Amino acid sequence: MTASAPSSALSAGEAAPNPQLIRIRDLVYQVAGIFQPDNKLRLLEDRCVKRMEVLGAKTLREYYECLTVKPIRQAELVSLLNEITIGETCFFRNLPQLDALRNIVLLKIIEARANLPLRHLRIWSAGCSTGEEPYTLSMMLLEETASRLKGWTFEILATDLNERSLAHAKHGSYGTYSTRNLTSYYRQKYFTDRGDELHVNPDVKAHVNFSRLNLFDDSRVAFMKGLDLIMCCNVLIYFDGLSKRRVIQHFYNNLLAHGYLFLGHSESLYGISEDFRLVHLPSATAYVKSEKRQVNR
Amino acid sequence: MSGEAKEVLLRRLEGLEQMPSIPVILGPLLRYFEQPLESLDVQGAVDLISQDKSLAAQCLHMANSPLFGRWQKVDSVRSAVVALGMQRMRDIALSCSVLKLMPDDQTGIDPTVFWEHSLGCALVSRRFARRIGFADHGKAYLAGLLHDLGILVNLWILPQEFQKAMALARSRGIPLHEAESETMGLSHCDSGRRLAEQWDLTPELVEVVSWHHQVESASNHRALLALVSLSDLLCRMNGLGHGFIEERQVNFLEQPGFALLLKECPTLESFDWARFTFELEGYLDEVHRLVSLLYRPK
Repeated sequence: MTASAPSSALSAGEAAPNPQLIRIRDLVYQVAGIFQPDNKLRLLEDRCVKRMEVLGAKTLREYYECLTVKPIRQAELVSLLNEITIGETCFFRNLPQLDALRNIVLLKIIEARANLPLRHLRIWSAGCSTGEEPYTLSMMLLEETASRLKGWTFEILATDLNERSLAHAKHGSYGTYSTRNLTSYYRQKYFTDRGDELHVNPDVKAHVNFSRLNLFDDSRVAFMKGLDLIMCCNVLIYFDGLSKRRVIQHFYNNLLAHGYLFLGHSESLYGISEDFRLVHLPSATAYVKSEKRQVNR
Repeated sequence: MSGEAKEVLLRRLEGLEQMPSIPVILGPLLRYFEQPLESLDVQGAVDLISQDKSLAAQCLHMANSPLFGRWQKVDSVRSAVVALGMQRMRDIALSCSVLKLMPDDQTGIDPTVFWEHSLGCALVSRRFARRIGFADHGKAYLAGLLHDLGILVNLWILPQEFQKAMALARSRGIPLHEAESETMGLSHCDSGRRLAEQWDLTPELVEVVSWHHQVESASNHRALLALVSLSDLLCRMNGLGHGFIEERQVNFLEQPGFALLLKECPTLESFDWARFTFELEGYLDEVHRLVSLLYRPK
């Protein structure tokens, strides 16, 4: 497979990137499905160095061994992935993805739903962490209720495994880091200022239903039916191939025929699922259900 | 667009009289580099490039960019040719000389946007060609670079009409060639073909310039054409387009170019489009930086 060959890497500096770093980048993509493009290699290197300090590894070559041959490899990969995705949670995290969702995908869903009796959207934020993602979706869709979604209702099912994250999400108060991407328009319209924190207003909360869910709990996951869209960002990267396939199979069955699956930035299903088709949107990618086959449970 | 009005535009295009002749340096460069690479000598290339001081300076900027695989600084045309090899140098020299084709006072398109798209498409075409084992990836770069030659023709000969097409494309978020067809009755593919033929470009380049938005209509060189067409679309979907967002959803496996290219490159069947797209994001910044170095409005 030619595509898995390491590409020539670029960086803004003069020195060529360390080939061991490219190996680590390729390994992370192969195992976890998240890609660090050339302009983020320096960041990846910083994260590796941070982990190397913890482990006492002196070189990237040594660290590569920690990720591949040493008994700690599984745990170390999780630690590195934690470093890679650290601090990503915030409102309006991936703007091109959200713009594409609002300007293109929403229209396609509305069009596809024209034949269905209910003017209602069902969205699942799978792995919602502390709630920024489902609240962002809620605000975005509320903005559309006067135009494209006039006469529609919507609900956002937001699930996570972590009780503490869910408690935070339900409470709905956020500090400066989480709210750094919020424009003053959204701050004023959908939040109440409570000193150091912004608190999500009840109209935004009303559309979001938080619950604890383990994505490996087959019977409960199978219950998530009739969905138009699933957002699952930076969750699948922690699963091994087999578990990923199992969850993706569920997602496929959970979605309506026109349904969309959005993953995190630079996250891919390559080699994991033939049931979803990759589509390109402006500066974003998504997956749609392939019409090839409906899977029976 | 009435048939009569379209006829008028076509007649204006036929003359191409307001279009500059092939840039002085581009003709000899194209002829020189059309020879088999193994028969070219370093001094010949250095002499040709050094004839034009601004070209030589731009070539050095490009030669020092990581986009061309160079990590140690080169400070002369000769050292660039020696370090990068003849094929890379050909790509660089031709890219720089094509830069000279933009009219000075046009308002149809931001020149840096146009060059970013052209250079981006050249780089993506070359990288894509390598990845899928396309036989002649050297040609892919040049074809990607020149595919939108017709936009330059429109800027020279049909500036007002082109400006309207651009405005329509921007306001509706539709591909430029669709907006051109709607407002002008013809697209940059039609105008590009006339210039490519007048300049006596190779038949495969003429095909790419003429049919990259309608690959199924071409009769020859369809694999190269399909490759450039897909690369062009990939650029446009990833922030290296014509300066506006095309509000659309694209499945590359359903593109006519995909089926055509698959015939020649079976590895395309299992191509990882997601990774290739993420990689492109990684060199967007470098394309922007390089074009800002290369393009200095007069």
